[in-house]
Amino acid sequence: MGDFRKTGKGVIDTQQPVSFTFDGKSYSGFKGDTLASALLANGVHLMGRSFKYHRPRGPVGAGFEEPNALVTVTRGKGRMTPNLRATAIEIYEGMMASSQNRWPGLGFDIGAFNNTFSAFFPAGFYNKTFMWPKSFWDKVYEPFIRNMAGLGPAPTEVDPDVYGAVYGHCDILIIGSGPAGLAAALAAAKKDQRVILVDENVNMGGSLIGAGHVSIDEKSASDWVAKALKDLNKADNVVLMTRTSAIGYYHDNFVALAERLTDYIPEAQIGKTREKLHRIRAGKVILAQGAIERPLVFNGNDKPGVMLTSAAQTFLNKYGVAVGKEVAVFTAHDSAYSAAFELADSNVRIAAIIDAREGVSAELISAAEGRGIDVHIGSVISKTGGKKRVRSVEVYEPVHNTQKTIACDALLMSGGWTPSLHLWSQSKGSIKWDEAKGVYLPDLANENCVCIGSCNGDFGIKAALDAGSKAGGGRKVYKTDEPVFGSGQVFDHLPNYIKPSKTKAFVDFQNDVTDKDIKLAVREGFKSIEHVKRYTTNGMATDQGKLSNLNALEIAAKALGKQAPQVGLTTFRPPYTPTTFGTFCGYRTDDLFEVTRKTAIDPWAEAQGAVFEPVGIWRRAWYFPKAGEDMHAAVARECKATRDSLGIFDASTLGKIEVVGPDAAKFMNIMYTNPWSKLGVGACRYGLMLGENGYIYDDGVVGRIAEDRFHVTTTTGGAPRVYRHMEDYLQTEFPELDVWLTSTTEQWSVIALNGPNARKLIEPFVEGIDLSPEAFPHMNVREGKICGVPTRLFRVSFSGELGFEINVPSHYGRAVWETLFAAGEQFDITPYGTETMHVLRAEKGFIIIGQDTDGTVTPQDAGMSWIVSKKKKDFVGKRSLQRSDLVAEGRKQLIGLLTDDPKTVLEEGAHIVADPDQSIPMDMLGHVTSSYWSESLGKSIAMALVKDGFNRMGDDLYIPMEGGVTHKAKVVKPVFYDPKGERLNVV
Amino acid sequence: MSSDIVFDQAVEIPDILKSGDVVTTLVGERTRLSLRVKAADRIAVAKALGITLPAKIGKTNTKAGIMIACLGPDEWFIVGEKAKYSNLYNKALKLSSKYVMSVTDVSFRNVAVELTGPKVAEIVNVGCPLDLSLAAFPVGKCTRTVYEAAPIILHRLSEDSFAMECWRSYAPYMVGLMTAHVQGQRV
Amino acid sequence: MMLIHCPYCDEKRPEIEFAYAGEAHIVRPNAAEQQAMDDVEWSKFMFIRDNKRGEHCERWWHANGCNMYFNAVRNTVTDKFIKSYKIGQKRPSAAQIQKWKDQANG
Repeated sequence: MGDFRKTGKGVIDTQQPVSFTFDGKSYSGFKGDTLASALLANGVHLMGRSFKYHRPRGPVGAGFEEPNALVTVTRGKGRMTPNLRATAIEIYEGMMASSQNRWPGLGFDIGAFNNTFSAFFPAGFYNKTFMWPKSFWDKVYEPFIRNMAGLGPAPTEVDPDVYGAVYGHCDILIIGSGPAGLAAALAAAKKDQRVILVDENVNMGGSLIGAGHVSIDEKSASDWVAKALKDLNKADNVVLMTRTSAIGYYHDNFVALAERLTDYIPEAQIGKTREKLHRIRAGKVILAQGAIERPLVFNGNDKPGVMLTSAAQTFLNKYGVAVGKEVAVFTAHDSAYSAAFELADSNVRIAAIIDAREGVSAELISAAEGRGIDVHIGSVISKTGGKKRVRSVEVYEPVHNTQKTIACDALLMSGGWTPSLHLWSQSKGSIKWDEAKGVYLPDLANENCVCIGSCNGDFGIKAALDAGSKAGGGRKVYKTDEPVFGSGQVFDHLPNYIKPSKTKAFVDFQNDVTDKDIKLAVREGFKSIEHVKRYTTNGMATDQGKLSNLNALEIAAKALGKQAPQVGLTTFRPPYTPTTFGTFCGYRTDDLFEVTRKTAIDPWAEAQGAVFEPVGIWRRAWYFPKAGEDMHAAVARECKATRDSLGIFDASTLGKIEVVGPDAAKFMNIMYTNPWSKLGVGACRYGLMLGENGYIYDDGVVGRIAEDRFHVTTTTGGAPRVYRHMEDYLQTEFPELDVWLTSTTEQWSVIALNGPNARKLIEPFVEGIDLSPEAFPHMNVREGKICGVPTRLFRVSFSGELGFEINVPSHYGRAVWETLFAAGEQFDITPYGTETMHVLRAEKGFIIIGQDTDGTVTPQDAGMSWIVSKKKKDFVGKRSLQRSDLVAEGRKQLIGLLTDDPKTVLEEGAHIVADPDQSIPMDMLGHVTSSYWSESLGKSIAMALVKDGFNRMGDDLYIPMEGGVTHKAKVVKPVFYDPKGERLNVV
Repeated sequence: MSSDIVFDQAVEIPDILKSGDVVTTLVGERTRLSLRVKAADRIAVAKALGITLPAKIGKTNTKAGIMIACLGPDEWFIVGEKAKYSNLYNKALKLSSKYVMSVTDVSFRNVAVELTGPKVAEIVNVGCPLDLSLAAFPVGKCTRTVYEAAPIILHRLSEDSFAMECWRSYAPYMVGLMTAHVQGQRV
Repeated sequence: MMLIHCPYCDEKRPEIEFAYAGEAHIVRPNAAEQQAMDDVEWSKFMFIRDNKRGEHCERWWHANGCNMYFNAVRNTVTDKFIKSYKIGQKRPSAAQIQKWKDQANG
């Protein structure tokens, strides 16, 4: 242990100490530290265990690409977040973080025995081993795998935090605020354009932050960044967003940004938006995401203390933390030298630079030697010493076959640079292989999008700045003083004298995928890189292959005997970086998860203690239980009260479409099976609508309000599709008709009154309508007033009783309902819900679309041939009704069923057979569609779709149920109650 | 009855939306009509009704107490003060015999709110995906669009003021989403 | 989320306002034609679609906008719209589609 903090370095606030705990132990850092930088400052490298072998791991990166240092942060009930990257989360006073995937502790972990036996856990191990016996899977294998392998535990409590989502627009969206992004923003800010600049880090500036060896236009990098940000902050047309990750790139420059708002605030309150999803539509997107350094694949490259050279540089420049006191550097790229020099210049001893290449520029070597650093050219690391922290490296020189051990407490590696093409690829921009640089680069754009800076292969700060200015519409040429970026060499294999079976060189750190695993996958016949990925799990870790994909590609390509570009890359998919579910949900949770449509009368029903059921996205009162009643008792009472005296029902959810215009009747003739031309003004008719395929689509009562005006009703759930269906035919097939459609579902509240006393109740409240049976017969509609508000009063019935449906303006619906309900006391008025409505209609044999029909039922099948016009030349569905299959014998037809035992209520959906003694699988004739206890009849009733049902009248059929019980039922016509319809005419 | 009748618009504006960067108010009773007129009769019908029917989709005409928006090629949405325009429906109805047109009363189908304040676009953009810059959505523009899961009609009243209306049963959702957003900012 | 140009609004609007409505230019036979069609011919009208890979003429409904149905040519591989046009306009020829593409590419 000890202090690894370097004074005078970093952009942390050393005046503000922050204390936090990691695995229960207290540590101190500074405001501006990440969890990783604060732990490293305390000499702690061991931060996690790997996925499969439970190997000890420390951070390998310094930012969002980190695969190893995954931690869980807990901040109270329901606020536990697993799998956070220690390198990407800011510490705050009192933060409680813990390591993952270890038991009982990070230092001693039982699961690490996997490591000891790792020879038995090659690629595809799980697929191969846990295949057999099958019955072992869910009881034995899966629980075992889930315990042993895995990330942090999923939270078990409801997340109490709030997440937001907004849309945004800009002309130019710049992603990444390193030199390229900043220069682009500065140039774009000068134009009359809306600019958004985002960066996932706390501070803007990217690689320029704390870059002591860099000057731009005669200013230090820090001063230049400060000035740039000052100018951008001043510009009205520029929005700067930090702590914001661009996570997905979708069609037409639609980019998702995830902004983190509270995670760094010690006392962040529940209720304040924690994270916000910005859905940005940009005119142009400038991707300045930089490049990620590539690890080297060598034996023992995963020990805590082994990390990317650039990570060590970031820890030093941004956080003032030296990752070790004696640091070895293993590289195949020139850029590692300048990083090593920066460390050396900050008084970190560089134990050695080991360079895998034969040819290295003399300048670099002399600059190293000038700092007293040993450089081993043409050498590799053959193994690393130490268990929970690297303690030494063995340098192997293949040409002379010599080995030398060098002590160190950190090892930096640099295999070159991988431009970040994730978002570019998500935008469907193509990529090309650059042989000279050994990298994939952006090629052809699919959207209005450019890549600039190192993500475009323009390495070095000047190159990035100039490209940025150009992309932002400027022409500025920057002057810089910066270390030479240089070049590197890509190795698909590093030599080692140790037998491969004794080595472990990791490609994907989190998923413990080694070079051997990838070679094994190829040997076993996996040729596509996508299959190699899935078989080995390489690139499937939370970093999504940011560190591993290119190395895996090189190794796979060599094993396949191909060039890298012939093998290709795996597909990049959103999100770019792990994102909380909360961010994706935004405000759409709980009550806002989906719209729940409620009628004007709904609050009254709620106050009465109604039980509700969803119908489409409406919620409707299902039944109104009185104290001690179950559903059965409530429905029986509601049915009886309605048939005996008076029931009141909220039918407001019925879809309503006003069909208006000189050609209204012509249009109705097309849309419905029955004729409309001769329907008189003031009369109503039941209408049946088919799809063009001839199957029943919807139904409802239609009233003719005027010669050119129909008040159409639809089913509750069907309203949107019926409206769409009508608009479609009107606009695209019959545009010559002068008629228009307006949805009026919500213009009206509909109060259905059913029962012999219905007329008596409303009589005193109605103005301007003669309610006498002669003046206002069944199936008519009148306009007038009720309770002082305008009404369209329908005399219709879905119960078989004398019935009225009172349409009043929605905003007065509840008031009219309450007035009628109060007055109805004299008739023992009873509110009923959808269940009673269903029973009453079933007693009459009226169908419910979607319950008694299922999209394959014709009017004939439903016993409704009477409603299909033979005279009309055309209506939607007419031709299909003549199709041979639709007129064939033996179709399923809607019939009634009466159970042998009148007390037995059949189960809806139950299958029906002719012979219960046949062997299984039985020959099924159909199924029960509706089934209820009928209080009025004192027996159960049911409707069913049964093969050749009309020819089975009087037959006995059987309904075999689970557990060996078989019900017997007789086929009858599906009209159980008042078949002559006399009750409609009660005076 | 009638005197004690309750006019109920399905939603109340919570206090949190009544003050701050954006002030939200619930619009009271209005006459709302959906008017459809064949192109050839547009000018004649407008003249007969004493209103202007803008010819271009998205355009509105607003004068004392009445707003007329062109929502579709032959569709106008009319919102008028009740006292002044309660008879407009009947007037239009009478014209139906003379011109190729239709009028439907939708006064009670919708619930409207008005939002005013410097950050009004942000609240509208919580659920509406349209670009609300003045260039893309100038003062006076009116269109059907969505507020997350709620279909709405959006009308820009001024640089910092919008009217938003939806079908009645969607109103609690529309206002709820606005409320959730403002609460998350305020805590 | 795509942007779709509505030929009635003459604006590009977000996809969420629209509903897809299947292949375009499939004309419903009139009453006499329907009766003259045998079941095989009728089933072709009802059920058989090109399911084209590439430039596809298709219908869209601006449900949460101007409420109009219209047609559009979209490349089903790239998801790029080439052109949208009003109901009633004829199916564009390959040459016409090429011309639109050339215009779009300046």
